[in-house]
Amino acid sequence: MNELKPINKAIYFIVGLIITVLFLFPIIWMISTSVKPVTELFAYPPKIIPSEFVFEAYVDNFVKSNKMLNYFGNSFIIAGGTMIFSLLVAAPSAYALTRLKVRGKGLILFLLLITQMMPTIMLAIPFFITFANIGLLNNYFSLILADATIAVPFAIMILRPFFQALPSELESAALIDGCGKFGTFTRVILPLVKPGLYTVGAFCFLYGWGDLLYSLILTTNESIRPITLGLYNFIGVYGTEWNSLMAVATIAMVPIILIFILIQKHIVSGLTTGAMKG
Amino acid sequence: METRKINVTKFRWSRFKEGSGNYAFLVPALLFLAVFMIYPIVYNIILSFKDVTVSNIQGEQHFVGFRNYAEELKSAAFMISLKNSTLFTGLSLIFQFAIGFMLALFFNYKFPARNLFRSLMLVAWVIPSVISGSLFKWMFAGEQGIVNYILIVIGVINEPITWLTDQNFSLASTIISNIWLGIPFNMLILLAGLQSLPEDVYEAGKMDGANPIQRFFFITLPMLKSTIYILLVLGFIYTFKVFDLILVMTNGGPVNSSSVLPLHAYNLAFVTYDFSRAATVAGFMLIIVIVVSIGYLKLIRSEEE
Repeated sequence: MNELKPINKAIYFIVGLIITVLFLFPIIWMISTSVKPVTELFAYPPKIIPSEFVFEAYVDNFVKSNKMLNYFGNSFIIAGGTMIFSLLVAAPSAYALTRLKVRGKGLILFLLLITQMMPTIMLAIPFFITFANIGLLNNYFSLILADATIAVPFAIMILRPFFQALPSELESAALIDGCGKFGTFTRVILPLVKPGLYTVGAFCFLYGWGDLLYSLILTTNESIRPITLGLYNFIGVYGTEWNSLMAVATIAMVPIILIFILIQKHIVSGLTTGAMKG
Repeated sequence: METRKINVTKFRWSRFKEGSGNYAFLVPALLFLAVFMIYPIVYNIILSFKDVTVSNIQGEQHFVGFRNYAEELKSAAFMISLKNSTLFTGLSLIFQFAIGFMLALFFNYKFPARNLFRSLMLVAWVIPSVISGSLFKWMFAGEQGIVNYILIVIGVINEPITWLTDQNFSLASTIISNIWLGIPFNMLILLAGLQSLPEDVYEAGKMDGANPIQRFFFITLPMLKSTIYILLVLGFIYTFKVFDLILVMTNGGPVNSSSVLPLHAYNLAFVTYDFSRAATVAGFMLIIVIVVSIGYLKLIRSEEE
């Protein structure tokens, strides 16, 4: 039903292109603003393509000052840490919950589903009080743990269909070959679910990269704050410096775009199978 | 051949099962779940029945029963946040779903570059909400923002609107931004659902003379029912906790006109440092989430019967 004649293919392509460009207009507008001369920011009529490209906003925030670069470094540590920690926790349990015989599978899955539904603020208040009491504020690890509360349940749910799709004889074959349970998992199973690990890893990274709430409440010290908080403070302090704000926002999107380009196929298929069957 | 294979598997599996090592794989996740998710939720519930503020956080704390709940229900900020949360979640869901569905139907046709377009659009969904919040704040900004310009050019409005600082429009502008954020996810999941539908049912429908609109309502919708339910429940959960976007765009203002429950709880906890009242708001949110989830489970069960 969805095969088209060549002429229709061309029409659908053009309509699809228009839809995509219109939909992505906010992002195009962001990039355009970031390279505009200040005098053109509020030009009437607005210019989508600036009369000249000015990279002052980038130079000011990334070359002349290293404040933003510091935020970026922190974001990489937090997002990377969230990704590694979440994969280490989620992969073995997703495997056990899918392919091994364990009691209470249903209950654990139910708990994961429920905890995923919790309003983030519900975890944030106890985290703040507890971390403050035990002196864990302003600590990368507390941010990584907090971000992992979003990433881990998601990771387990998305990984399960990847384990499910493996042929059932795998474990027994590996056992015959003399692998232990753990060896079977690390040497036979994990390499086979690489696409799933990429997808989940990418999303865990994105969760860590995108978090604002936890970094807002669990940090008081500039030196460990991530770029999201840098951006947020930017809005407060330099409320009208739109070209600077858009320049920093544009750079903050670069890692996301790179991840997307690198594993685009895995992300889309992983997300759909995970959400449909998880 | 086939039966022998299964027998061998069964035999090996029984040996495999005997070790109790299977549970070791679950230890990290269970520990994490208990310490960092279940414990905080319980802590939060206990907190909502106490009187913890910044002054007695390390001192003596009393249980006050349902006093916090009763007082929140009397608070104007709570009631307006509840109303806004309902509007925000409801309107976001309806529009994200409807627009996402239309796009999914369109992208279900095979034409060049459709996968590229689909992936490009998904980028909007994975942008941190601080970034999308900032860029919508910029587009809705002042009287000279691009949104006002476009609306005036196409003749929808005559006068520019100060979207973010006008009590009548602040919530609307956050809802519009949130709809934009959610469309790609709805499109992606519905597209996957559409692509899993068997073609022959449509062939049969065509033979019986059903037009495209009838085919949509009598074939596509019923067959996608479970996908749609899951999508709406996921959408509800994501949308109900949206916080960053509103914090960045309007900070709930002016005068609470765009405040939602998570933002109200955040302000109670981290602006006025009334932790118990904040936990109470989170408690109300928990009740709402549970009611919706039970409703969903009942729906699924009645479908299956």
